Amino acid sequence: MTEEKQTAAKKEAPIIEFKGVSKVYTSGTHALNDVNIKINDGEFVFVVGASGAGKSTFMKLIMREEKPNTGSIIVNGFNLPKMKHKQVPFFRRTMGIVFQDFRLIPNMTVYENVAFAMHVTGADDKQIRIQVTKALSLVGLHEKARSMPNQLSGGEQQRVGLARALVNNPRLIIADEPTGNVDPTMSYEIVSLLTEINKRGTTVLMVTHDHDLVRDFGHRVIMLEKGRIVADNAGGKIHENQ
Amino acid sequence: MKISSMKYLTKEGFKSIWTNRLMSLSSIGVLVACMVLIGIALLLSFNVNKMVGDLENQNVILVFFDDYNAALYGEGRLVPPGAEVDENGICDQMYTVHNTEEAKAVCEELKKIDNINTVEYISKETALEMIKDILPEKDVDYFAVLEEAGENPMSDGAKITMVDLEKFDATVSAITSTKGVDSIQSQNGLAEKITGIKNGIFIAGIAIISILLIISLVIVSNTIRVTMYNRKLEISIMKAVGATDSFVRIPFVVEGVSIGIISALLSLGVLYCCYRVAVEAILSAIGNYTLIPFSSQIWLLLGVFVAIGVVAGSLGSIIMIGKYLKREGSEFAAI
Ligand SMILES: Nc1ncnc2c1ncn2[C@@H]1O[C@H](COP(=O)(O)OP(=O)(O)OP(=O)(O)O)[C@@H](O)[C@H]1O
Ligand SMILES: [Mg+2]
Repeated sequence: MTEEKQTAAKKEAPIIEFKGVSKVYTSGTHALNDVNIKINDGEFVFVVGASGAGKSTFMKLIMREEKPNTGSIIVNGFNLPKMKHKQVPFFRRTMGIVFQDFRLIPNMTVYENVAFAMHVTGADDKQIRIQVTKALSLVGLHEKARSMPNQLSGGEQQRVGLARALVNNPRLIIADEPTGNVDPTMSYEIVSLLTEINKRGTTVLMVTHDHDLVRDFGHRVIMLEKGRIVADNAGGKIHENQ
Repeated sequence: MKISSMKYLTKEGFKSIWTNRLMSLSSIGVLVACMVLIGIALLLSFNVNKMVGDLENQNVILVFFDDYNAALYGEGRLVPPGAEVDENGICDQMYTVHNTEEAKAVCEELKKIDNINTVEYISKETALEMIKDILPEKDVDYFAVLEEAGENPMSDGAKITMVDLEKFDATVSAITSTKGVDSIQSQNGLAEKITGIKNGIFIAGIAIISILLIISLVIVSNTIRVTMYNRKLEISIMKAVGATDSFVRIPFVVEGVSIGIISALLSLGVLYCCYRVAVEAILSAIGNYTLIPFSSQIWLLLGVFVAIGVVAGSLGSIIMIGKYLKREGSEFAAI
């Protein structure tokens, strides 16, 4: 998608909208209760909360890894609860996902790991070469293109994961604790990168336990507690409601 | 699917044979073992079938016509009242086949019977020679005595072979009730034995082959499951970045099918060596019997092996990844 189009999309409906969403796992756990939230195109949102509060569940509902029991979810214009299994891959291509444990394929080079996400969409080789090189230089790893994942530090591996999430120019990036497995300095670097990407028009949604990060970057913060949204503040303030 | 994607997926399939070489090797090992066993079962049954076929060809029925000798040496023939008999007490009305023309006419009648393969006219002299081969030792002495006296008690007749030995009894009764036929001679019970052997081989062959097929399918998909960790990671990432089900499936199928074909070629080589050793051992044990040459079955065996390999390889991998495809999650550790 071109940048003009992305700016145009900003004025349209929110990129993520939850209405009365509840999620009960088959085990009986009420992970989310009546969640209502709107996230607009171009926002950067931190999702915080204690362990078990429902943060990962919230993210999984957004990437259509789980379905809600009640309520409606609209993401990138897709109506998720009504979506068919066959449509899921095409929906996923509109977003980039970053994992806490990086999830790089060990027997592929850095370049191949990033290119992989483009092969999936059926892109041709030339397009792939241009985009992958661009994504790798954006995360500062173009010199490590031929390295294997196990030759990289944790922070570097996560930057490869970030490049992979970016390579298809998604409108939305979803990251569940992307800094959970890297040291504090590298955490700053990764959130700085995400902020950079956000400034170019991509919506970013990131779960974190790191209050320093939340405070220092000053983005919108959504706080979950026992499956409910208990705070939703701009400017990195976490405890305003208490 | 685009050509560039197909090329990429095929390459990925080949690459992962090497990346997962432990799994590939054990799958190939299992498949080769099963294929070689199936090949042995096939070659064994072909050879036994050939031997049975040889026996079948030897299983001729001798038919004797109702001619002068039949009347002379036969029992319980009544002289019709007022008939003129010769010096042996026989008259024309006591038998039906009076000359060669009439004998050949009976042959033509016999040919019309269902399940008859060949009918060959036999003079009484040839019949005497043949009956010696068919009858037990002790009776041969008896014929020798007759021969010395210059006598031939045999009638003219025909040598008959059947198409299907399973219909032996029905065919024999049709032959016996043909006008002009006096009696028949056959090797007792051989037909039954041959039919029994043939059916036994068929059933055993099917059983062995289907058991081996199931075993190879189970073991191949099990082998894949054991080393699935890397693949689960791969599948979860593929799905997270938006791969369709067929995109996820194709490299696995390419991999499975290639493993199947490699196994088929290896099996053919192994079987060839086994067969050569076996043929030499058998020949030195039983003499100059001709076994089926390997080269005559090479395409059939290759076809069977490739078919098994392709089916086991692709089915094995499709079954394995089927349940991962149904999930939409990226939680690969749980699946
Ligand atoms: N697949 C599942 N099946 C059943 N229960 C689940 C499942 N996933 C999560 N839960 C439960 O739902 C609740 C919310 O889980 P969730 O993973 O969303 O929490 P979280 O906020 O991400 O926690 P953490 O900070 O530890 O990652 C927890 O009680 C958890 O045990
Ligand atoms: Mg979580």
